[in-house]
Amino acid sequence: MIEFISKKIINILIIFALVLQVIIYLYNQRPLITNFSKKQITVENFSTIALSNSGITKIGSEKLNKIDEDNIYLEGKSFLENKEYKIYGNNINISLSEEISSSNEAVEVVNSMGILSAQGFKSIENEGKIIFKGKVKLILND
Amino acid sequence: MIKLFYMLIYLFILSNANSESYVKAGESLVWDSDNKNYIANGDVIFKNEKFIAYADKMVANYIEENNSEIFTIIELFDNVIIEFKNETFKGNYAIYTRNDNIIKLTGNVSIESPTRLLTGYELIADINNNKRILNSANDESLVEVLLDNNADN
Repeated sequence: MIEFISKKIINILIIFALVLQVIIYLYNQRPLITNFSKKQITVENFSTIALSNSGITKIGSEKLNKIDEDNIYLEGKSFLENKEYKIYGNNINISLSEEISSSNEAVEVVNSMGILSAQGFKSIENEGKIIFKGKVKLILND
Repeated sequence: MIKLFYMLIYLFILSNANSESYVKAGESLVWDSDNKNYIANGDVIFKNEKFIAYADKMVANYIEENNSEIFTIIELFDNVIIEFKNETFKGNYAIYTRNDNIIKLTGNVSIESPTRLLTGYELIADINNNKRILNSANDESLVEVLLDNNADN
């Protein structure tokens, strides 16, 4: 009698485990399928040239993360460089359609006026403006 | 001998640090390359080889010359203090033109040196010719003062 009951319990446990595996399988599959089309593209230690309405900008970073068709996130040490300036910073966001790049981390800029350091920046390329945030120091060329 | 060498290096670094020209801002600095200016906000300090200026806001226009940018006109707004040698100019607004090296201050201006303090409405400081012109607000009050700084204050 006891042997019969324990066999029943073992069978129930096996069935339960199989059902659990099926559930896990199903729930694992769905997100993989849906995420596939939205997968981020990541490139490490890269440097490239981007062509925009306002000119050519050279972009480089320890890690480039393509968030979507319009947004790029430069992770780690990064730089933006064009004919007017070189911006060296960390963790820079770029919106390609709006031509806006920004960062809330320390940044250093070299241009024909001198060397500038700030605690963050927002560059609006199509307006020709760069807003440097926080304490800013611009050392002028002699 | 080594001590003298280190002292010379220290003096060289110190003299270079003091001759450095810069702009500092406490809140933000906007570089507008289309309009060729820089706008600095919050506890602004501007230093060049002639003077050091403090204000709440600064707008500096520049030109491009031989692949470098040079400030031509500098405007300072609110709580303006300019230190030039042993003189201190104060006012609500100041404009400096690099071409003629003239600083013009308006609004409750004062000129202070170790031996004198003068106040007025407008101060024109001609740095090249070492002359100061202090004007009153209108014709009825005070007088126009012409200060020749060669008189050694």
